[in-house]
Amino acid sequence: MRYLDFKKFSIYYDPYLIISIALLSILGLFFLYSASDGNASVLIKQSIFVFFGLILMIALSQPDPQIYYSYSGFFLLISITLVFVAIFFGPEINGANRWISFGFITLQPSELCKIFLPIFIASYLYGVKLPINLKNTFLTIFLIFIVFLIVSSQPDLGTAIVILLSGLYVLFLAGLSWTFIGSALAIFVISLPFLWNNFLEPFQRQRIATLFNPDLDPFGSAWNITQSKIAIGSGGIFGKGFGEGTQSHLNFLPETETDFIFAVIAEEFGLVGLTVLIGLYFFIFIRCFYLSINARDRFCRLVIGGLSLVFISTLFINIGMVIGLLPVVGMPLPLISQGGSSLISFYIAFGIIISMASHKKLVPR
Amino acid sequence: MTEINETYKEKISFNKRLVFLYATFGILGAVFYYQIFNLQISNYSEYEIAAENNKNEEISVQPLRGIIFDRNGEILVNNIPTFDLITKPFFIDDPDDFLLKLSSFLEIDEEDKKVFLSQFEKAKTLNKELTLKQSISDEDKAKFLVRSHMFENAYVGKRYLRNYLYPEIFSHSIGYVGRPNEYELDEIYEKRSLNKKINFTYTNQLIIGKTGLEFTYENILTGEFGNNLREVDARGRTLDEQISTEPKVGNNLYTSLDLRSHQAAHKAFNNRKGAVVAIDIKDGSVVTLYSSPTFPTNQLANGILQKDFDELLLSEEKPFFNRALKGRYPPASSIKPAIAMYGIEEGLIDWDFSIFDEGFFTLPEDGRIYRDWKEGGHGDTNLFKAITQSSNTYFFDLAYRSDINQLNKHLSSLGFGGKACIDCFEEDKVFVPEPTWKMNKHNFGWFKGDTVNMGVGQGYLVSTPIQLAKYAYIMANKGKFSDLSLKKDLVKSEKSIEFNKFSNDDWFKLHESMVNVIEGNTGTARRLRERKNYIVAAKTGTAELVSGENREQYSETRLDDNLRDHALIIAFGPMPNPRYAVSVVVENGESGGSVAGPVAISVLNSLIQE
Repeated sequence: MRYLDFKKFSIYYDPYLIISIALLSILGLFFLYSASDGNASVLIKQSIFVFFGLILMIALSQPDPQIYYSYSGFFLLISITLVFVAIFFGPEINGANRWISFGFITLQPSELCKIFLPIFIASYLYGVKLPINLKNTFLTIFLIFIVFLIVSSQPDLGTAIVILLSGLYVLFLAGLSWTFIGSALAIFVISLPFLWNNFLEPFQRQRIATLFNPDLDPFGSAWNITQSKIAIGSGGIFGKGFGEGTQSHLNFLPETETDFIFAVIAEEFGLVGLTVLIGLYFFIFIRCFYLSINARDRFCRLVIGGLSLVFISTLFINIGMVIGLLPVVGMPLPLISQGGSSLISFYIAFGIIISMASHKKLVPR
Repeated sequence: MTEINETYKEKISFNKRLVFLYATFGILGAVFYYQIFNLQISNYSEYEIAAENNKNEEISVQPLRGIIFDRNGEILVNNIPTFDLITKPFFIDDPDDFLLKLSSFLEIDEEDKKVFLSQFEKAKTLNKELTLKQSISDEDKAKFLVRSHMFENAYVGKRYLRNYLYPEIFSHSIGYVGRPNEYELDEIYEKRSLNKKINFTYTNQLIIGKTGLEFTYENILTGEFGNNLREVDARGRTLDEQISTEPKVGNNLYTSLDLRSHQAAHKAFNNRKGAVVAIDIKDGSVVTLYSSPTFPTNQLANGILQKDFDELLLSEEKPFFNRALKGRYPPASSIKPAIAMYGIEEGLIDWDFSIFDEGFFTLPEDGRIYRDWKEGGHGDTNLFKAITQSSNTYFFDLAYRSDINQLNKHLSSLGFGGKACIDCFEEDKVFVPEPTWKMNKHNFGWFKGDTVNMGVGQGYLVSTPIQLAKYAYIMANKGKFSDLSLKKDLVKSEKSIEFNKFSNDDWFKLHESMVNVIEGNTGTARRLRERKNYIVAAKTGTAELVSGENREQYSETRLDDNLRDHALIIAFGPMPNPRYAVSVVVENGESGGSVAGPVAISVLNSLIQE
């Protein structure tokens, strides 16, 4: 049963996803409390986001997926417009224009693009003949790159990469020809040196270089990763206990509330804690995989597949960075890191996924 | 919603591709989990230690430096507590604002402010403490302490100052301490096998001996470093500090230096340039090591204004130059007893041998004239008279008949051209000239005339005041001696000079002749007789800086202060059983007997009559 019937009024939901997401969110608050050194205002703010985010998620799962199909272009347009608002009117923080300030909260509209771009592409591909032809391939890729370039100009390479991936996942799932993938990969590899020299900032190149050789600059760009590894490693099997992480609380770890919260969890709860956390994520993936395979039509299939892969990618980029396997790039731990924008965007994503999972196809028997 | 025909094929393709992506992430996930397992299980202990090392910082605590005493137990150097206002720039956002806030109740010199502001940025980046005001008054301390809750970025730190009780007297012998430079710091880390990560906080600041005894006996005076373990965060904020090892106070240094003789020397020199060295004949310990002019050691150790330092450094008087150990002076006539010893030992002369001194010596080879200081000469002159009246002609003749290589050996055995003192700071051992040296240095062969000049302590022969004192000491002790030293009760082996011909009787006669320099009616230093109430043996010297061709030219050069002759004297007493040997050089003092002599006598008086 995917909906409760109260005579005229029914609620659409997916118990597995709702419970696991709520559980993860509440665990996240618990971790954040320690990571922020018991900062009450951080916790209260995040709790408000979680509370209203979960309500938003359930609210968004009520309408029929048809709505998302029909308005996908509109949603994407709104998202891109907000990104432009941030670029031109938003406050500049650390040399970047990623945010729109609403007084008591600031939101990052680029987070919405990673949800609505794949939905728009899925809806576009819903109307074309599959397997996808070359013209549509180029049109789609062109659109993806436009959004990618807009967001990376903020600058925000981390989010831009996820946006790029979100579009490509849908394209790939829709049956992008292997020949095309092969040649695109070849071109990418060939142009790597060019990209390295022209598109990466010196600090970004440094981050990649230290990934392979942390001894290169132990107190410079490798500092964060070194400290993060020490935090994780010193956690051991059971961790140092809630609030007892010296690496986290003595300020050796950077960005404990956001990008490096995974290291805080690792230090305080050890391998056991991490296994539980990873298990919860794993459960969500498996559920999404099942829902995607059994989706009612092509649109829903592509959206559930695409959005769940966005979620997975965010998680992997964050963990990969924190454990020192990927270069440092600003990426939150989904549903746990402090920050309303990332949280809200994933609640929106799961709201739409649940809507697609719980609404049966209205096919006359 | 338009109904689109979904082919079975399309769905299979989608599923395959979805599985492909999920599988890729699955493999990636396994790799990640393996990495986490590696960090937390396989390399756990390594990272646990790293985390511990991160939060714990080792701080070295310098022990109190040992006290320095004179030979009678008088304190020469000790430590006194002082309080400084110390800032933590890391926690100061706006230095101008910070100074303004402090200035509202504390008076801070403009100079201090300027220094603070100029060093602020660097100290902030490195998270180092910065002293704003040194040695603040008790009143300022109290004013700050009642407001200390407003200043988490500053504190009053207690520190020990090195206190030189006689700063203008022992400048050269004791030296001074200071902060180590980077090179010295590296050496300290290595020598004391300290961890390079170790920090020295401001109040435990590392001071090391820079010159003199403070430098030579650094190891004795320093003591042993203590260790504090401090739990800190990555920003250097102290969470907890525990003493893991208490520092061990440095050992006191008992020196052979004599306070009163230094005071006498200081008074007698009255800032003229020169040096005096006195030696206790009993064990060869140095009781007086004084170079003039001196410099203020307290200021050098505890902070001197750049302006004042430059003034000292650039002064024409060269106060930093330790004349007692490094000043190169021709020994002039004071060398004559040594030449006499050589003559007797080699059988060239005896006490009965005499010459007729007509006021000059003519070098047979080329007829070159070597003048005596006395016009007309001393007439019939034997060795006794030659020493008492300081006849040049007698020694020109003797030197002319000497073998330069043998003479070189003899002078070396008396301590010339060698290190006299085993624990002196940067002593210049100089050299004794001989043909090979001249060939290397001047690319010229040795002339007989060079040996002749050496006979009266001129020409290429130079020596330091401490070498002259050692030479006087060896003569006073009849050839037996120990190496000179400044530390009291240092165990040293006694050495002696081997003679074949030079006998005990010769020693007696040599002493007799030197006693006559002061006590005889014709002695060159007879005017010193009244200044003391015991008998002293001596030999004066007047070192010519410019040798004039004739007397008119010589008188001209005397008009320039800096070209005037140096006055020298070596002396020992009280006779017949001498206890102290002394040497004095007064730069541009002209007359050994009447200028250097009184200094030597005041020092001997202070030593003998205590």
